[in-house]
Amino acid sequence: MIEQIREKARELLESGELDVVIGYAEGSDPTRTTPIFCRKPEDTDKLVLDGRCVNTLPAYLNKRHEYPKKGWKKTGIIGKGCDIRAITQLIAENQLKRDEVYIFGAECEGVVAHPEKWDGSLHEGNCASKCSACDVKIPLDTDFYPGEKPEVDRSGPYMVSAPALATLVKMDDEDRFAFWRDDFDRCFKCYACREVCPHCSCNICITDRTMPSWVDQAAHTKGVFGWHLTRAMHLVGRCTGCGECTRACPVNIQVDLFNQKMKEVIQESFDYKSGYSMEVKPPLITYNTDDQETYIR
Amino acid sequence: MRTATLQKNDLDRVIDLLSQADYRVIAPQNQPRLDGPDSIDVAVFKEIQSGDSHNIGEGLSTTGIKPFLFPKDEPLFAYENRGKKVVLTEVSLDFPKTVILGVRPCDVASVSSLDAVFSDKNAGFNDELFTKRLEKTTFVSYSCTEPDVSCFCTSVGLAPDSDKGSDLHMTELPDGTLHVEVKTKAGEKIAAVIDALLSGDGDAVARQQAGVAAAEKITRLRDSAPILPWLQDLGNFGDEMWQRLGEKCLGCGACTFECPTCHCFDIVDENSGNKGYRVKFWDSCQFDHFTLHASGHNTRNSQFERYRNRFNCKFKIYEDVFGEKGCVGCGRCIRGCPVNLDITEYMAEVAHKAAIPNAMSADPDFE
Repeated sequence: MIEQIREKARELLESGELDVVIGYAEGSDPTRTTPIFCRKPEDTDKLVLDGRCVNTLPAYLNKRHEYPKKGWKKTGIIGKGCDIRAITQLIAENQLKRDEVYIFGAECEGVVAHPEKWDGSLHEGNCASKCSACDVKIPLDTDFYPGEKPEVDRSGPYMVSAPALATLVKMDDEDRFAFWRDDFDRCFKCYACREVCPHCSCNICITDRTMPSWVDQAAHTKGVFGWHLTRAMHLVGRCTGCGECTRACPVNIQVDLFNQKMKEVIQESFDYKSGYSMEVKPPLITYNTDDQETYIR
Repeated sequence: MRTATLQKNDLDRVIDLLSQADYRVIAPQNQPRLDGPDSIDVAVFKEIQSGDSHNIGEGLSTTGIKPFLFPKDEPLFAYENRGKKVVLTEVSLDFPKTVILGVRPCDVASVSSLDAVFSDKNAGFNDELFTKRLEKTTFVSYSCTEPDVSCFCTSVGLAPDSDKGSDLHMTELPDGTLHVEVKTKAGEKIAAVIDALLSGDGDAVARQQAGVAAAEKITRLRDSAPILPWLQDLGNFGDEMWQRLGEKCLGCGACTFECPTCHCFDIVDENSGNKGYRVKFWDSCQFDHFTLHASGHNTRNSQFERYRNRFNCKFKIYEDVFGEKGCVGCGRCIRGCPVNLDITEYMAEVAHKAAIPNAMSADPDFE
């Protein structure tokens, strides 16, 4: 599979159709892979694609990062199904044009929840929970797919995949608040959750604004709650559920649980799943005269 | 100074005795995990009470001991506007007598890097919030026996059994006992408190062998000797490697906040009505607004320049200003990096480049 992608990527770099192909290469230890920017045809020999490829590479396509400064006319990107969902959403939100990217897709067997759990293979004990409810193992929209791409029914509703969410929603408010307060105590606001997110698109994040300061910058209880709840709300109806925010958190705070819960709410309220259409706009960034008003009392 | 043997399962008693002697005891503790495969093991240093479980001796904690000397946020003073007057209230500098138990050698060595910045030894300004905490803190360190794949302390002049900065050092021996070495007066006080649990003179030979055996398990080996002269050659500031290795950096601050020696902070007034606090809190050179001037000009406008700064800070600026490295090789910046940006790859690349005289530094194909 990766051989065919390498071959195609090499061909498109040689012909000059693509300026760069963003993919995964071997990391600095055997449990890891790392993002690679292939500019020369021979760089494509380094490409790998397996259960260790956890990064959501479309984060590099987000205008917050340096993608627009590079001057690439057409960017090749290797995507798992969930990554391609993120690209779809970036296009739906006018953050990216479809013809700026060339998408290499392949069937995904799932990825490890965290590199430190990689023991040589992918199995039930180390596979990320997002993969258990995945309907894009055969990716949605690709320019290159090795072999024949089968038709897949993706009409089902969004399903929460994290088992931890079931535990949390059963708690009463006080216990749940105590849980987050204790977990957030470890947060030092490194913003890894923000930087790895393909959908955190603001040029200047609200937490970085100081005139006025909307969210306390310090990592005390108020500053940490302020950040995580703001982040969760800003991604409602936009998060495509790659789970990178949780995976990237250096102190194991499962911040994607907020996003998963909100995805469930958006499914119920608006019958909307983000990342499946480049045309349908996310419900909270559009206005329709027949929008529900039941929340106004 | 004194050496002795301590039984490993007496560590709980050590915590009891130190607590009874009015020490605030800090020890590494596993954090609760949620259901499901997405949760990973995290251990952090926290205050411990008698009977709480700890994980002393079980790997390197996810975060270090930095917050107990340099908290992630702390008020400098409180202010209140009363009519035309502003009333300031100082914060208390009366910190509790503290012992940090089970600190790994890399972490305890890092205290000297923080001290270099915050005390008046070099900087000419004494940050009492740091130095007064340090005066009250005793470090009981614990040799590593199982360094992991990201550890590289032996490449920066330390070792899994280093006792640099330690007051009382423990090394776990293959028979499960702990070899105890008292290093300072503060360590003597700890030894006196736990005297009933100490026996004999310990086994210095076995302790030495344990250190050697642990060092042999470290696989990330880099030659750090060529790094300083290479960085001091300012022609290398524009080398192609900075952009090539650093362009995948996404600009979070995970490496700097997990780092035991990173010490940058910002100060802000947190206002509420007519009163508030002036607060000092951790900042990171990896953030895009860290060097953003009021004019809008940013002296480090690209992410790779920010990581170049981080590497230079550890291996050049610290050496130039303080005469020591600003890196202790704990490997947290490697484990915690979301994109596997690896400081030891920079170290290897520099050693490689330094070995080639008059190497072509700019790569014409690289945009």
